[in-house]
Amino acid sequence: MTPGGDAGAGVRHTADTVTVTIDDREIEVAKGTGLVETAAEAGIEIPVFCYEPRLGPPVGACRMCLVEIEGLPKLQAGCTLTAQEGMVVRTAATSERAAHGQQGTLEFILVNHPLDCPVCDKGGECPLQDLTFRYGPGSTRMRFPKLTFDKPIPVSPLIALDRERCILCYRCTRFSSDVAEDGQLIARNRGAYSEIATFGEDPYRAPFSGNVIELCPVGALTSTQYRFEARPWEITDVPTVCGLCPAGCNIRATTREGAIKRVQSRNHPEVDGGWICDKGRFTFPAVRADDRVREPLARGELGLAPVSWDAALDRAEELLRGARGRIVTALSGSETTEIAYGLGVLVRRGLHAHSAVLHESTSSALDAFRTPLSTIGAAELVVVVGDDEILDRAPAVDLWIRRARRNGAEIITIGARGTMRTAPGGAAEALQELLASRSALGKRLRASEHAVLIWSGAGGGGGARLAEVADALGFAAKPGCGAFHLPATPNARGVAEAWAAAADEDEVEVEGIGLLVVSGDEAASDPAVRALAEKADAVLAITMFHSLVVGWADLVLPATAALEREGTSMNLEGRVQRLRRAVTPPVPDELAWLAKLAGRFDVALSPYPAVVFEQLSERLYGGLELGQLGEQAPLPARAPYIAPAPAHTDAQTAHLDAVEGHFVGTLRLLRYTPLFSGPEVERVAELQFQRPEREVALAAGDADRRGIATGDMVTLRSNGTSVELRARVDRKLVEGVARIAEEHAADLHLDVEVVRV
Amino acid sequence: MSTATEIVFGGTHGGALTELADYEAVGGMTALRRAREMTPNEIIEELNASNLRGRGGAFFPTGRKWSFVPTPEQNPRPHYLVVNADESEPGTFKDREILLRVPLRFLEGCLIAARAIQSQHVVVYIRGEYEREWEVLVSALEQMRKAKLLGDVTIVVHRGAGAYICGEETALLESLEGKRGQPRTKPPFPAIAGLYASPTAVNNVESIATVPPIIEMGGAEYAKLGRPDASTGTRVFSLSGNVAHPGNYELPHGFPLKDLIFEVGGGIPGGRTLKAVIPGGSSTAILTAAEAEKVTLDYDTLAAAGTAIGSAAVIAIDDRCCIVQLGVRISQFYEHESCGKCTPCRVGTRWTTQILKRIESGEGTHADLDLLIDVGEKVNGTCLCPLGDTAMIAIASYVAKFRDEFVAHVEEGGCPFHGTSSLEGILAPTDVHAAHVGPAEITRPLEVVA
Amino acid sequence: MSSGTSLYDQIAELRARYPDPRSAILPALQLAQAEHGGWLPEEALRGVADAMDVTPAYCLSIASFYDMFHTEPVGRHVVEVCTNVSCALSGAQGVVEAFERELGIHAGETTGDGNVTLRTVECLGGCGWATVVALNNRHRLHVRAGDVYGIVKELGE
Ligand SMILES: Cc1cc2nc3c(=O)[nH]c(=O)nc-3n(C[C@H](O)[C@H](O)[C@H](O)COP(=O)(O)O)c2cc1C
Ligand code: SF4
Ligand code: FES
Repeated sequence: MTPGGDAGAGVRHTADTVTVTIDDREIEVAKGTGLVETAAEAGIEIPVFCYEPRLGPPVGACRMCLVEIEGLPKLQAGCTLTAQEGMVVRTAATSERAAHGQQGTLEFILVNHPLDCPVCDKGGECPLQDLTFRYGPGSTRMRFPKLTFDKPIPVSPLIALDRERCILCYRCTRFSSDVAEDGQLIARNRGAYSEIATFGEDPYRAPFSGNVIELCPVGALTSTQYRFEARPWEITDVPTVCGLCPAGCNIRATTREGAIKRVQSRNHPEVDGGWICDKGRFTFPAVRADDRVREPLARGELGLAPVSWDAALDRAEELLRGARGRIVTALSGSETTEIAYGLGVLVRRGLHAHSAVLHESTSSALDAFRTPLSTIGAAELVVVVGDDEILDRAPAVDLWIRRARRNGAEIITIGARGTMRTAPGGAAEALQELLASRSALGKRLRASEHAVLIWSGAGGGGGARLAEVADALGFAAKPGCGAFHLPATPNARGVAEAWAAAADEDEVEVEGIGLLVVSGDEAASDPAVRALAEKADAVLAITMFHSLVVGWADLVLPATAALEREGTSMNLEGRVQRLRRAVTPPVPDELAWLAKLAGRFDVALSPYPAVVFEQLSERLYGGLELGQLGEQAPLPARAPYIAPAPAHTDAQTAHLDAVEGHFVGTLRLLRYTPLFSGPEVERVAELQFQRPEREVALAAGDADRRGIATGDMVTLRSNGTSVELRARVDRKLVEGVARIAEEHAADLHLDVEVVRV
Repeated sequence: MSTATEIVFGGTHGGALTELADYEAVGGMTALRRAREMTPNEIIEELNASNLRGRGGAFFPTGRKWSFVPTPEQNPRPHYLVVNADESEPGTFKDREILLRVPLRFLEGCLIAARAIQSQHVVVYIRGEYEREWEVLVSALEQMRKAKLLGDVTIVVHRGAGAYICGEETALLESLEGKRGQPRTKPPFPAIAGLYASPTAVNNVESIATVPPIIEMGGAEYAKLGRPDASTGTRVFSLSGNVAHPGNYELPHGFPLKDLIFEVGGGIPGGRTLKAVIPGGSSTAILTAAEAEKVTLDYDTLAAAGTAIGSAAVIAIDDRCCIVQLGVRISQFYEHESCGKCTPCRVGTRWTTQILKRIESGEGTHADLDLLIDVGEKVNGTCLCPLGDTAMIAIASYVAKFRDEFVAHVEEGGCPFHGTSSLEGILAPTDVHAAHVGPAEITRPLEVVA
Repeated sequence: MSSGTSLYDQIAELRARYPDPRSAILPALQLAQAEHGGWLPEEALRGVADAMDVTPAYCLSIASFYDMFHTEPVGRHVVEVCTNVSCALSGAQGVVEAFERELGIHAGETTGDGNVTLRTVECLGGCGWATVVALNNRHRLHVRAGDVYGIVKELGE
């Protein structure tokens, strides 16, 4: 096996070891270990440019890693070799020839590389700069005009390319073709004229494009957000966790003078494998949005107006008391566990108001099959259930699945766009049937030691249904098998559990809504929550952006962004991870004023996340300490399986609607929430090109019957309302469905009529 | 040394055997019938006895190569025979004539070779520029299909699209898989993981066309031809350049180079004198006329003379040729054909052209001459595939053998031929097309026609 | 685009010939180039991408690697003169210059009426029959400067 061929997470190492000699030092490593890694174990450096195991098998392109191998006439590219018993290796440190070859390579690389390091974003954190310093020629003997290009070329609104800095290591194109598999960034032409490009003037439009910036070993691919923003020696990196989806990729926020300048991946081999999506990477400028709520706003004669914090807290107390327990709390699922707990303590203990709404239900039943996301990459069989694209719910999981496929796994998707097509909401049932009817798939799932189930859609009791399946398949006893539910929100479970933990008495049913507490911008932009607001006497909103709530909130208290928070969050694996404050928010912490408010109702709440976590941890995480989370949070052991409450029938009913809708000639509206959407994404100009087209996807059959072709404008009607969209024939889509991004579906109802205009 | 005999071109009497009937009339397909009675191992044994070595340039024993291919029991994946008909090495045009004159013998060889490695899948990768050759081959294939001679073997003829590097076996496989034709790192070798990561034997057209005669006459008989050492059998020599009668000549290995040029080739025309010879295609080191007088055309003799038999493409160069200009032109070829994957070759070939052009123009210095040598030494031995290495070996040999000519350019500040060189002003694609593929255009490579 | 659909079907047929459909990319591009007057405009590459189930960018990465694909317009006829060593030693440059005179263009250019594109190319594998000239991929052997006038006449207006 070549190094990187299956490197990183999911590798099944053979126990036996080999001994190699590098620069006269004997090193014992596991068989199959790459020579570069082997040398590193002994503190010997084999310099590399193109070598990056996470991109797959080595290509041996740049020739920086040349070493001398005893018995071989030619110098060898160390990165392409694995440690063999008795191998004798000499690096540039002890081999004249290797040093000579390496100097050659560096001189060749520098032949066309401009000496503009002082104005290059990479300067100071540039592998080429470092290696040149250590191994390179003092001066260049190149006395010919270097290749020059117009600079920089916008590969996309997010990424700039300085071609003359490119050393053609092909890392970026390999990422595009072999990891993200988007095929957008390519090498064109041949030989000395080879260059990195996209097609014509098409931008590099793909969900993971930003990773090429980090992969580029020189300053050729740079972030348009970061260009000329900071120098490496002026910045501080804060290790934290992405708060935009339930995968919880580990990230590093680069800050300068109290402002976030960029977000980079911080490889957690079990969670993200060192890749992050463009939403996680490029959304941070939203914290500087124009409509950011910087002080409390209260409704007066002239609408919402700034008020002092004291006034704001008085008003809040007034609203809370006035509701006399008739309070409903709409949670976003993006709160930290501590904030959700604080809110719970305030309204549940202080005001005995227990009703809360969360976008989706959650369940702890899957903890019995808990396993790191990386096991997907090593799986041989992956079954995905649900109508939502994995990419839209938890992008990181999409990359793990692609990796599994590359390693030979079979991927079966059951859903409206699946390899097994089902009517919307019918996926769950289809799976049940599959397993009931001793199907081949059922047998294989039972037999396999490396199978994974993934629920990517609404319903299913937040994973409860999937847990029943996993249990029936005996996954609990198979460490290589796992089952994942992809929640719609980043911290759905943490929030739900914190809310539950905050209760200290039995719930009592209350009539009507005196006060609606809207926690977070996602809740504020959720149509269902808007509907509740209609019914409420008053609304207290806690949001980052005021334009979302101007019309209907009576009191707006400022919220902070994930990158501004201290606290914890539980990702879809059930892993508790630590958020660290990258920059100080322009407003006080939620916990700070929640604690003050709680005081007014004689309930104790600490304003400090660390203290709150301690209390929570007692009840939820068996006394886990914040310190134990460390830089790379561990995954708790599997919990015993507890059968969840019996299925409530959300899936089935949805399913029936679909069928019926099909008969009456109308199509079933299938809304989806695209990855690039939400209050924060909407506020980042350079991300807009990533958002979905204003279009409706139709199955080929449905399109034909209506004489609709891709590109036609169509009108969608459902009692009363109508929208006009561009049609796209989607060969993967099940018949009887009109698939539209949430933001374009307006308030269409379930059954829609689709006609060409 | 045995005398000239036609083996590959046997039975053609200078003509072509493109009709199945005509080919069978001269004993065609008897080898195939015999081979089908032999076990794969027996076929490989015959090849080992013949000591046939690869005619594509690497001179690797064909039987040995086949024996490296695992059996279907060892590796159940489909096995492939890939025939290299990409013939693009400057000076080489032998495979082309084989395809035109004995296409059926070649296909017969494919079937025998496929049997030897227990493969049912043969792919012939023919360079895109060989359009007629492709048509002739396809029609020959049709005849064999109609005559039910293919058995359970499918033969696909796949056309290249213009890239010298696709002659390198792993680049060829990449190209065949629908990728950019860039070489792979070895190991794994094609025999273990070649086309579609399956066991694959890659062989040259001439190697394959020599297989039927070997099966017919027996390996031992074939081994009596040519020389008893490494270089048994005959070779189709491509003779070109400044000779009276250029062309392909099938002669036994060990044939004297001077006889090829002065007897067979009719000598140097126009009363000129022989100045130098490139003995095995542009990738091999040059020989002075004096050296050429002494050598015979076989692996060991040419190796001892510091060069190689390569693709057996002999280029005769008369006294009108400026060797510095030769260096520029050869360097331009490798610059143009470098695939761009590995750094030394991609950058080194271009840099070398630049240095040589400056020396040729008379603006070069002694330092440039040293730089030329040093760049060559840094490229040679550090590349991913032999393209860059051999380019530098060839150019280094021009400087080594004709240093005074390079020095003259530096010291006289110009070409000592004063415009009379036979290569004066020769235009290479890199001179012409650079603008089209080069830095000039930026974001939009294509203009849609109005 | 009717030719597009037929191209789609032809390519589908090509893909079926190979164990891995992607192997059909060269034949597919060759087809598309023939259908688009000898070169590959953007829509041609998009068409091939659609039929090959790859991205247009991928098609470009392939098309731009091989010499026989043109990503810029070419004339109705393409004249390619081999100027590698063997042909060069036998007067190829004289042949190139004769074409330049007769056509009134430099190598690498296309005549104003879009009739002929003149290029110099690397070894065409006819070294013993120098100078080799490819007329629309058909090889003329032993071409001398004196033959050029006649060849250009053949190509007509
Ligand atoms: C740059 C380069 C170009 C080559 N071109 C050809 C070629 O055009 N035809 C060929 O048969 N072999 C060519 N070879 C050699 C092949 O890599 C391979 O060794 C050969 O096809 C094996 O067949 P054989 O063993 O029958 O000679 C080339 C090698 C290199 C490095
Ligand atoms: S742009 Fe950067 S990553 Fe891409 S090939 Fe060039 S140097 Fe490598
Ligand atoms: S690091 Fe080994 S060749 Fe690039």
